[in-house]
Amino acid sequence: MALLDKFAAADALKSQLEAGGHDPTQVVMDRIISPTEGIVEGRQTILAGTNNYLGMTFDPACIEAGKHAIETQGTGTTGSRMANGSFAAHAALERDLADFFQVPYGLVFSTGYAANLGTLTALLKPGDAVLLDADAHASLYDGCQMSGADIFRFRHNDTGSLEKRLQRLGERARDCLIVTEGLYSVMGDCAPLVDIVALKNRYGALLLVDEAHSLGVYGDRGCGVAEAQGVMQDVDFFVGTFSKSLGAMGGFCVSHHPELNLVRYVSRPFIFTASSSPSIIASTRESLRQLQARPELRETLWRNARNLYRGFQSNGFEVGPEISPVVAVRLGKKEVALPFWNRLLENGVYTNLMIPPASPDQHSYIRCSVSAAHSEKQVERIIEIFCQVKEQI
Amino acid sequence: MSTRIKEIEGRICELLASYLESSNHPELETHGEITGDTNLASDFTLDSFQIMEFMMDIEESFDVMIDVNSLSNSHTVSDLAQIVFNSLEGVTD
Repeated sequence: MALLDKFAAADALKSQLEAGGHDPTQVVMDRIISPTEGIVEGRQTILAGTNNYLGMTFDPACIEAGKHAIETQGTGTTGSRMANGSFAAHAALERDLADFFQVPYGLVFSTGYAANLGTLTALLKPGDAVLLDADAHASLYDGCQMSGADIFRFRHNDTGSLEKRLQRLGERARDCLIVTEGLYSVMGDCAPLVDIVALKNRYGALLLVDEAHSLGVYGDRGCGVAEAQGVMQDVDFFVGTFSKSLGAMGGFCVSHHPELNLVRYVSRPFIFTASSSPSIIASTRESLRQLQARPELRETLWRNARNLYRGFQSNGFEVGPEISPVVAVRLGKKEVALPFWNRLLENGVYTNLMIPPASPDQHSYIRCSVSAAHSEKQVERIIEIFCQVKEQI
Repeated sequence: MSTRIKEIEGRICELLASYLESSNHPELETHGEITGDTNLASDFTLDSFQIMEFMMDIEESFDVMIDVNSLSNSHTVSDLAQIVFNSLEGVTD
């Protein structure tokens, strides 16, 4: 097989996706109007698949903070923090995040993906054991694989399956790392962190929770699912992203373990990546302030989430196991899901298509993410268009 | 091949048949007998998710843990039997 022959499979997939009319992985927003609206192929389109949970991308204070940072600090850092030095704002954001999670240590990465890669490759080495939820995000899988540790999966959100593996590990359980997410991004279901924490404490393991989709969404202060379930102090490492509720780009890890400060010396994804530009850091810091100062954003988000979930349910759609800002509609075969997704887009609703093997089971899903910035009318319109497309398909 | 590995292989063949049946896999009826040479990806076009799901069934049936890293090129029933055997015997790569 020639070097480039391996792209034949990707080419076949591309053709299959394009056959429906639009390739769901290559949608271009010609213009962004607001956190919830854009122009796609000349049509005004409701954005219902962009993880912009709090609508921060157009927040005036965040925009102003970003503009001011560009004007006073320039457009970029031109290199990594280890080689070029850190800007004061990088260190300030690390303190902001640590304070927000009420832990002493914080570390900022240039993307959420790099945060998971960078944290896991520093924490784990060959010979270590990691227990990973089967539905964990690709960045968590990749970080574990890159570390060279032994990776054992447990069934998604199944604490019985997790405990069996802890038992099988025997003495190694005491030094293993359990990796889970707060809110799972495809089905919108939360990890049973109270039970996972009980197991972690019983067996002496460490726990890393990825709050990428739950930051700003769950908990009285918006820290995430661990806060909502009252187990923050039992989580060893929190990782997350700036690219969802915080409306920017980047990632972080915070912890009560002082060793997190040493991660910056050994984590290749941290050491060898250019640091985030001043405008990103500034808008993220402002966004984190807004998130804490405006709890009403979370209330609006949850009202919209309830309305969308119940609206789908009452119209006969099969939705995920619990109400959350991620609402997945099960459509069965991809032969149904692909045209369904295309008709939604042509009728002015942008969503996410999940087909096997990217979906968590053998079914295909249309995934919506709700925003606090969606109006009640927009939520009603999304439901209306779903119902129209159902009639057509 | 040792008798023990042959036994493990036989059980994995049964588990695979049962997994394919429970998931209504379209190639179950057209495919012949499942043997040690049966390849999960090419004979049954199982995707990466289905292969991982089937691994969970194997883990539970044999009460072992399979390192995800060991699965990258191990897609025949015979390869899987060797991995399970190694896990049961505490053999590391």
